[in-house]
Amino acid sequence: MNRRALASIAVVLGIALIVIAIVYWVEPAKSLPSFFPGHQAGSNHHHAKHGIAAFLVGLACLAFAWFNTGPKRARPA
Amino acid sequence: MPISYFQAAVLGLLQGVTELFPVSSLGHSVILPKLFGWHIDQSADYFLTFLVATHLATALVLLGFFRRDWVRILEGLGRSLRDREIAPGDTDAKLGWLLVVGTIPAGLLGITLQDKLRSLFGSPQYASIFLALNGLLLFGAELLRRRAPVTEDDDDARIARTVGWRDATLVGAAQSIALVPGFSRSGASMAGGLIVGLSHKDAARFAFLLATPIIGAAAVLKLPDLAGSKGNGVRGPALVGALCAALTAYLAVRFLMRYFETNTLLPFALYCAAAGTAAAVYFAVS
Repeated sequence: MNRRALASIAVVLGIALIVIAIVYWVEPAKSLPSFFPGHQAGSNHHHAKHGIAAFLVGLACLAFAWFNTGPKRARPA
Repeated sequence: MPISYFQAAVLGLLQGVTELFPVSSLGHSVILPKLFGWHIDQSADYFLTFLVATHLATALVLLGFFRRDWVRILEGLGRSLRDREIAPGDTDAKLGWLLVVGTIPAGLLGITLQDKLRSLFGSPQYASIFLALNGLLLFGAELLRRRAPVTEDDDDARIARTVGWRDATLVGAAQSIALVPGFSRSGASMAGGLIVGLSHKDAARFAFLLATPIIGAAAVLKLPDLAGSKGNGVRGPALVGALCAALTAYLAVRFLMRYFETNTLLPFALYCAAAGTAAAVYFAVS
């Protein structure tokens, strides 16, 4: 897989994870989609830590993409 | 008052030393109150809030002690983001990203496993056994360590040259073992550093730099508890505990950075093995 394709996947994944983080911070456990870890019917608890974890991994994906699409340094002759 | 000022001072002094010495602060904070016969409910909100204050103090001391390194590291991170690459000679940027890479696994494991592990293994009996095992871990690291090459580089530059990305991930993940009371965060990361080829001094330096964001972030996340209703009745003792922790943390980091210039983890390994075994036997027969 070439660098650009890998970076594109990292960007999509990074944005998705940051969106997931926001959902964790905003929605109580009862309102999370049922396939989200931490979903619990009737619970008003906010899974802030799950949100932080998703946000950190999302940032890491974006950082990976940022470096992976940077200009290549010319090798000294 | 759930924690007296005297208890807060003792626990604060203890926290500052044991957080940085490779002997497990969490293990000691579980074992010693039981040995002293103090009736402190360690799963209660007030105790966790108290610990937040002492951890924050320790993190601030570490940040202050290594402030020049952090300024250089942050500048290096900024440079690498601007240039979209880590320049081959930019050891500050490399060290900064090594710390980021090392912090991610520790942070993720901490966030997801902390509560479960503490509720499973939070008893003084378990903590004593794991403290003894922490001694074995430190001893094992001394046996397995690679001999570090002697170079004239600056400390941080030497770390950046020696530690690879995979090494940083492994050392960072090794810190997570400290989620189990009795195992030491600094001990695990120093052990990891030795195994990947750092000297004792550089392994300690890398461990302290790696610990700062984790301890600080964990404390900052829980800081609202101290200001809210969970902090009622414990703010005064928490302040005393934090000041005591700051004092001993400063003395501990100063001592350890000199100690590891010429010494090894063996005394700490022996202490953990002996103290852990003695405490486990005491709890078993009492």
